[in-house]
Amino acid sequence: MPYCYYTCNLLPLHLVASTGHSPRWLGNHLRDPNAPARRDALSVHPMTCPFVTKLVAAAEEVLGERTGAPGSGEASATAGTRGDDCLVVPGGCDAMRRLGDLLAATYPDRVFVLQMPRSSGPEVAATLASDLARLQEWLRARMPGDLQAGSAAAVSAEPPTLDYPRPPRPGGVFLVSGPLSDDSLLGLIDKLGAHVSGLESCTSPDRWKPLAPGSRDGGSGHEALAADVLAAGMCPRRSTAERREHLVRRLDEANASSIIYARQSFCDPGAYDALLVAQLAQERALPYLEIEVDFPFDANGPLRTRVEAFLEAQLLDDDLLEV
Amino acid sequence: MPGLSDATGDSLSASLIRAAFLTRTRYKALQERTARRYMYLHALSASLDLFKPGAIVPWVSYLFPTELLASYGITAMIPEIGAATLTGTESREPLEAAAARMPLARDVCSYHRIALAAVENGMLPAPSMCLGTTPLCLGKECLLETLAVRYHVPFREIRVPLPPDEGEAAPEVVADVAEQMRVLHDDIGRWTGRSPQLRKVIELSNRASKAWGHLMAERLAGRLEMDGRETFATVFLGQLLWGTREGAKDFERLLTEHGRSDLMAPRAADGRPLKKLLWLHTVPHHDSGIIDLMRERGAMVLFEEMGQMHLETVDPDDPFPGLAKRLTDNVMWGTSARRARLNLALAKHLKVDGVVHFNHWGCRHGLGSVPVLRAAFAKAGIPFIAVDGDALGRGGPQQEKSRQAMESFLELL
Repeated sequence: MPYCYYTCNLLPLHLVASTGHSPRWLGNHLRDPNAPARRDALSVHPMTCPFVTKLVAAAEEVLGERTGAPGSGEASATAGTRGDDCLVVPGGCDAMRRLGDLLAATYPDRVFVLQMPRSSGPEVAATLASDLARLQEWLRARMPGDLQAGSAAAVSAEPPTLDYPRPPRPGGVFLVSGPLSDDSLLGLIDKLGAHVSGLESCTSPDRWKPLAPGSRDGGSGHEALAADVLAAGMCPRRSTAERREHLVRRLDEANASSIIYARQSFCDPGAYDALLVAQLAQERALPYLEIEVDFPFDANGPLRTRVEAFLEAQLLDDDLLEV
Repeated sequence: MPGLSDATGDSLSASLIRAAFLTRTRYKALQERTARRYMYLHALSASLDLFKPGAIVPWVSYLFPTELLASYGITAMIPEIGAATLTGTESREPLEAAAARMPLARDVCSYHRIALAAVENGMLPAPSMCLGTTPLCLGKECLLETLAVRYHVPFREIRVPLPPDEGEAAPEVVADVAEQMRVLHDDIGRWTGRSPQLRKVIELSNRASKAWGHLMAERLAGRLEMDGRETFATVFLGQLLWGTREGAKDFERLLTEHGRSDLMAPRAADGRPLKKLLWLHTVPHHDSGIIDLMRERGAMVLFEEMGQMHLETVDPDDPFPGLAKRLTDNVMWGTSARRARLNLALAKHLKVDGVVHFNHWGCRHGLGSVPVLRAAFAKAGIPFIAVDGDALGRGGPQQEKSRQAMESFLELL
């Protein structure tokens, strides 16, 4: 079965599966950092977030060898089924939208950029529903004839692997972040003697599980799917007022004792979101730490020291209070 | 020396400082009597009114149809213009210090970062409402809504779908955007309690558009050579004046030789023809290093991508579709492929010797499209360079690096 790679978890995977494609999160297929650099690799500006930068390289790996310049329409796939594989880019931010543009120009007819709205409301949901229908149509049209009938049952989904290493408990560290490649940051917090009370991340299970296969009857209409996407995707790129409301609810539910914001560098929505979260922390008199992280996440080195110092300071405060 | 930050409030000193700023600008306008000087004067005069107590201050995105505000006699506060103006005054240093103290990542667009620092430190007036448009970037929408939430004022966004790569936006898309504008125009009236004068404002805006459209057509036809860098800087400020009587007169001043005399293309001292360049994206407002270098090396900016707006008039009886179309089909909006197609056609039409893309600090929208633009120009055999810089910057190692890159590019030409 051909693969449909995707970049953001705000994609209803059953919609993809219903067309006979196996959905695979591109973040699971990053280029080996030790592999020799390719001279003809697509280049993105260094002032682009590491997530987008790494996904461009990953897309080049999975979509096949490139023989032409971007926009030349001369790209071709290597042997095998790679030519049937495709990529869906939900374009929620400028960098991701431009990633979609670059790859669409390099791999004509193999990349679909799905516009992701900031706001909600009936008109917005209707537009998204129509875009989802267009995506489904595009995926169906790509499917080779011999694989079309009854192929949905044969697909396998490969969402992000990030999950809570231990169930979140109220009263602990609340973690906000962009995309995380794995649970090492959560594990680090656990290892340092604190516990996690909640996670808000592009790759958190709260984000991808509601849109994973089996979460909804595959026959549901596009309007309902659009509503699901808008409900699940209360992420930093969304309306600040709605995001604030969402975060207030999450923080209250988690009864957070402190907040850590793991922000990707060069991420506009993340930068403004961190400002919002810092304000929420201040309003609640919660200790707040903002760290700049890479993708994939590396829990060692200076980041570990900063998180450790932050958590230790809180334990120290607790000890002093007990005295 | 007082800065603009001292111009706020209703104290006698604030009024005097405002008057002094205006007098200085008015004196220059009276001396030179060019469209550019008048536009500076009128944009400054309208903007200083925003500092007065009780003023209605709508923070809007750069492409927001300001006629919707002018209809109620309101001037727009455009963060990019505010940031560029303030960093060119005595307020630059304290403003940069305030921005450095702010807990906002330094890697976001400097226009927006500086504007936020300015409003948080009383150097720009706080918003009464924040009005965005999806074009051009997400960052300014984040800024505008952040401000709306902080100051507890309404936020509205005009949602504009991306245009197709080929052709124009579909009529139903234009109609949808027009309807959003119609509703917003009514809402502004309700929020402010003022009566609209939209027809009158559109007629004034049309006078300006007619003049500007004519000028751009002459430039495109090769009958008029203007300095693209200076012309963009003028139109950048003119964004505050669409739909005003002053704006109409100022744009019409560009139609006379004297009115545009300080915007004309430079000439080489020895009479040799200059290399002609197409400039994409914004310009460095306060650092003339790259432009000076171009002049030294016999090159000039013939045309600027961002000047291509308000080229057509709109129907005064039903202005919303016309205003909507300016957004849906804006040359900077859409995919990288569309931007490459339009600019390639422009470069070929103008027969330029090369193309410069200014990679403004933190602009994911602009610099994200550079790989596709570069490939398109390379395929067409048109020299292309993308120079990194900060539109608000002044000197520094980055600017020096860009200057060196430009030097090599000009040598190549």
